[in-house]
Amino acid sequence: MAKFDLTSRMGQYLDRHLVFPLLEFLSAKEIYDETELLKAKLDILSKTNMVDYAIDIRRQLYPNEEVPEELKQRRVHVVAQLQELQQEVEPIIKVMGNDEVMKNMENMRDSKTLINFLAKDYNFEIDMIESLHKLAKYRYECGNYSVSTSYLYFCMLVLPPNDKNYLSVLWGKLASEILVQNWESALEDLNKLREYIDSSPNHFGGNSLQLLQQRTWLIHWSLFVFFNHAMGRELIIEMFLYRPHYLNAIQTMCPHILRYLATAVIINRGRRSALKDLVKVIQQESYTYKDPITEFLEHLYVNFDFDGARQKLHECQTVLFNDFFLISCLEEFVENARLMIFETFCRIHQCISIGMLAEKLNMNPDEAECWIVNLIRNARLDAKIDSKLGHVVMGAQPLSPYQQLIEKIDSLAVRSETLVGLIDRKLKARNDIRWGTQEF
Amino acid sequence: MSRFFATGSDSDTDSSSEEEIIPRQAAPIYTFSDDEEEVKRVVRSTKEKRYEELTNLIKQIRNFKKIKDMSSMLTSFEDLQRAYMKAIPVVQKEENGQTPRFYVRCLVELEDFIVEMWEDRDGRKNLSKNNSKSLASLRQKLRKYIKDFEEDIAKFRENPDQPDDEEEEDKREPEPDSDSDVPIKAPIKITKPILRDEGESSSDSDDWPSDSESSSGSSEDEEKFTSMRERFLKRTTEKDDDDDKDKDKKKDERRKERKDREKRKLRREDEEDEEGEWETVKGGVAIPSEKPKMFAKDAEIDLNLVVKKLNEIIAARGKKRTDRREQIELLHELAAIADQHNLGSAIVVKIKFAIISAIFDYNPKVSDAMKPEYWTKLIERMSEMLDMLQHHDNILISESVTEETERFDEPPYRIRGCVLTSLERLDDEFTKLLKECDPHSNEYVERLKDESKVFAIINKVQKHLEVFGSQSELCRIYLRKIEHLYYKFDPRVLQFKSGELPPTTITSMQEMERLCKYIYAKDGTDRLRTRAILSHIYHHALHDNWFQARDLVLMSHLQETIQHSDPSTQILYNRTMAHLGLCAFRHANIKDAHNCLVDLMMTGKPKELLAQGLLPQRQHERSKEQEKIEKQRQMPFHMHINLELLECVYLVSAMLIEIPYMAAHEFDARRRMISKTFYQQLRSSERQSLVGPPESMREHVVAAAKAMRNGHWGACNNYIINEKMNTKVWDLFYQADAVRAMLTKLIKEETLRTYLFTYSHVYDSISMSTLADMFELEKAIVHSIISKMIINEELMASLDDPSQTVVMHRSEPSRLQSLALQLADKINNFVDSNERILETKQGNFFLRSANQGGFRGDRQNFRAGNVQDWTRQRRDNRRDY
Repeated sequence: MAKFDLTSRMGQYLDRHLVFPLLEFLSAKEIYDETELLKAKLDILSKTNMVDYAIDIRRQLYPNEEVPEELKQRRVHVVAQLQELQQEVEPIIKVMGNDEVMKNMENMRDSKTLINFLAKDYNFEIDMIESLHKLAKYRYECGNYSVSTSYLYFCMLVLPPNDKNYLSVLWGKLASEILVQNWESALEDLNKLREYIDSSPNHFGGNSLQLLQQRTWLIHWSLFVFFNHAMGRELIIEMFLYRPHYLNAIQTMCPHILRYLATAVIINRGRRSALKDLVKVIQQESYTYKDPITEFLEHLYVNFDFDGARQKLHECQTVLFNDFFLISCLEEFVENARLMIFETFCRIHQCISIGMLAEKLNMNPDEAECWIVNLIRNARLDAKIDSKLGHVVMGAQPLSPYQQLIEKIDSLAVRSETLVGLIDRKLKARNDIRWGTQEF
Repeated sequence: MSRFFATGSDSDTDSSSEEEIIPRQAAPIYTFSDDEEEVKRVVRSTKEKRYEELTNLIKQIRNFKKIKDMSSMLTSFEDLQRAYMKAIPVVQKEENGQTPRFYVRCLVELEDFIVEMWEDRDGRKNLSKNNSKSLASLRQKLRKYIKDFEEDIAKFRENPDQPDDEEEEDKREPEPDSDSDVPIKAPIKITKPILRDEGESSSDSDDWPSDSESSSGSSEDEEKFTSMRERFLKRTTEKDDDDDKDKDKKKDERRKERKDREKRKLRREDEEDEEGEWETVKGGVAIPSEKPKMFAKDAEIDLNLVVKKLNEIIAARGKKRTDRREQIELLHELAAIADQHNLGSAIVVKIKFAIISAIFDYNPKVSDAMKPEYWTKLIERMSEMLDMLQHHDNILISESVTEETERFDEPPYRIRGCVLTSLERLDDEFTKLLKECDPHSNEYVERLKDESKVFAIINKVQKHLEVFGSQSELCRIYLRKIEHLYYKFDPRVLQFKSGELPPTTITSMQEMERLCKYIYAKDGTDRLRTRAILSHIYHHALHDNWFQARDLVLMSHLQETIQHSDPSTQILYNRTMAHLGLCAFRHANIKDAHNCLVDLMMTGKPKELLAQGLLPQRQHERSKEQEKIEKQRQMPFHMHINLELLECVYLVSAMLIEIPYMAAHEFDARRRMISKTFYQQLRSSERQSLVGPPESMREHVVAAAKAMRNGHWGACNNYIINEKMNTKVWDLFYQADAVRAMLTKLIKEETLRTYLFTYSHVYDSISMSTLADMFELEKAIVHSIISKMIINEELMASLDDPSQTVVMHRSEPSRLQSLALQLADKINNFVDSNERILETKQGNFFLRSANQGGFRGDRQNFRAGNVQDWTRQRRDNRRDY
């Protein structure tokens, strides 16, 4: 199943720390060679400060070898540096310990008054923020995400949005929130970050390439949030499909994101209207990116090839099962995909044999019959089962032209009536005024 | 010749008694009116008479010259020519074959005058149209005419101040004189031919002193006296005439002699010309510096001397009196000398550079192409220079080197100049040269062969610049290369795509990719990038890379800004869109093909939009200048896109879109035309009372459209794909068979759709396998098409799975029903607009009192009518059911 695995493609756009969950997941699925994965992990760790973790993995990888001296030294060095940084921002940390002050801070209007307030009462200097930012980064590198979250929160409060560090603070905050799995605030940060990127193109010097890169990163990071937050499925469609900038970014930089978008649309029953737009995008990009999920939609909604769709649905299941983000919605996906096939089928056919339907839905006939009965009972489908022949007969007949005509004209009389009434009233009012002013 | 003889011998002898009696009219002092002439019949010799005629005309010409009346001058000149023709026998006799000096003088003066007029651009512009036209034709005629007198003119120019009467002397020693030309001048050992070959354009240059006007004034006086003296002295009698007759017989012989002599002389001159050893000394005032010879005979030729000489020559560049041709020769000579004396490659490069610019200068007009012989010379010099540059990598040649910092003596050499600019100029000249030729002639093919040479030169320059050049220069040279690459089809690209070639081959695609990417990244000016993108798209489209081409178009957003770019870029854009359309068509993306081509085709002048020819002028839509500019923009023939192919592709795509649409919306009021051009074709064929079998491509498409409308895919297919259309259109595609197969498939599908739209109301149900058989399509495809139509609510039907049939729902409205629905739509719109009107008028209440009443009454009337209609319709509807 390695063919449809996107980890390597996604990895380019993720932070080192964000790749770990993906790798963990992969090693659980055992698609790749375990040692190779470990090596990859080690490689990634080498540039972070998570020395302990690196040592662990080294042990796993080479159980017979001693931990090299270099690593040990590095560990000492990291701890020392951490201490040093900590001392630099002592006053801030003290402030942060004080709940009351924090509450006050949150109520401040803007960063300037806040800085004044802090400088007056707690001998705070603006340079300290720089160090705090550094410390947060350091903590993050060490894998101390929750601590760095709180530091970065403070930074965000204090820093004005046009500060050079502001963007990196935002990114850092998002990453840490994701890593501590605090989805609520992660979503908040995500929105903040998106607004920041979208609203201020001149922060990037008008360099559209850089802007595109930022968006691409954001798209990838947001996947963590969208597939874990309850509201995510709505928002992912909103952001990826209906924001032209992001759709552009997907089309030019990372068409593989279409998989996630497609899945989100499929499992979101309320957003059937998005399907049409999505199918258009998928068709447009079909030459650069294809996987069973996009192909499923293509078969179903472009070619109306139900056999093909069925096959793809089967493949989809394995793909979803092996995807870090999508595994949680596997059940939902299959259910909705079936429903989609069935719906389309019903719209086209007036009489379907249950046997064939069952085949197309990857079910056995009895199960399928049961399923259809349930659908009918829930009043989602106007159909009847002819059990003798084993057919489902659709009930709905399209409107006759006569009905159409009546429907169209129905409201006309009422509308005209109100119009006439309105005009009459106005005319009367005008006449009254005239009489009044002329004063007979 | 006949005329020559006629005037020369026959008429002269036969009608001599008549003609000779006409009194001769000499100087203006003795002006006689015609009447007087007839009265005073003085007998005069032929010579006198002819000469007088000539002098008269010459006088006239002089006068016209003064007032710059070109048209009259032209007629006078023509008269003069004729008169001289007549006078030739006399000249033969009297002057012993020598052209009379006053005549030569006149010619020379006239020539100088015209050259001057011609050079004076501003003045020329101010001339009236008539005059300027006359000037041009006069110039041409004179040039042609003067060729016959080259020798005499040359001689005259040697010594212009000689009195005219010297002809007598000349006459006495004609033989020695003409022969002695050589010995006399031989000792003046001069290395350049300055013999002006008047036939060529060098007559433009003005070697003649500018004060010729005044001198001619004085000579005029002289001439007056001459003629007067003649008048008094030479009273010829009848006897002379008799002699004339006798002499006439001899004349022919003599003439032959003379001609032979002339021929010989000409040949000799040619030799001189080629060898470049002789020069005819020109009248005193030439550029002294380059006059006698390159260097003093015994001078030691060293670098400084050569550089000095070079600068001397270059300094003369662009000056009015400089003979450009001579300059080129001089520079060649200098190059040879520099080479002989091993003065180092730098100086040779520098001289070569100067030669190149001199050749560029040779052609005085920017719009005209240079002459082929100079072109070949130019190419040779250019590649020689580049070879030298390549071999000696210690030469720095750049614009940033100032003249003071140039260094030729020791490496690293530094030379001022810009290879790139010369190359660009060369490339432009090449295009001009191509445009000049008739595209269907062999000449064009011959010229086109030089394309590879030009391309090689570009490659050399590119190599050179990759070492020395700056980024922007590299961008420029890359773009030049791209412009030579983008329109060429490389079959290897397709082979490469199908995996027939090893992945290491570098096709033009990769080359383009590399060049374009560099420009995208490094270019600072928008124009180069735009052109590079367009060329890149063109190249992709040419090689069937539809997706890449499309994405590039979409990403570049060029459609929005292209209106603001320069015309040549817009032309490139149009060409690109044309090819994109063709590419989309090959990929069966009919809608995209249509969209790409519609802008080009809608205007009805794709030829102009693609710069492949000018439309015939309509009512002075453009002035001369405009036309000239437009001509300059034209594409050379080998880059043309076949217009018939383009139109056919467009019409076929329009047909494939429009016909099903028409069938589906037969009664729809809101039906829009998708393609106007296509409709025009349809309509024009419908207007014909008798439709014959199709002949042209358009007729074929129209016939096919009609067949398709009737659901007859076979006929439709035969009209589109047959032998005639193959040779006309389809064979022009690289993979013609694939295109044809694609077309057949599309025709089947679209005809099926049309068929279903048109005939669904006569079916209650129809089996899918029948349909599949009818249209020779696979059942899955039929199923997919019908499903699509059902989903899109185009077809009111549903499938019956167990029996594999399509069951119609009878919902296709009858004509009446659809009309009723339309009406309902309209009424709805009407009510909507009423509401809107009321809303907008809500604010100002009093103002609307005037039209309120009328409006309301109208509305009521209308409504009443409508209601009646509606009820009637309802009744009808009921009857239907």
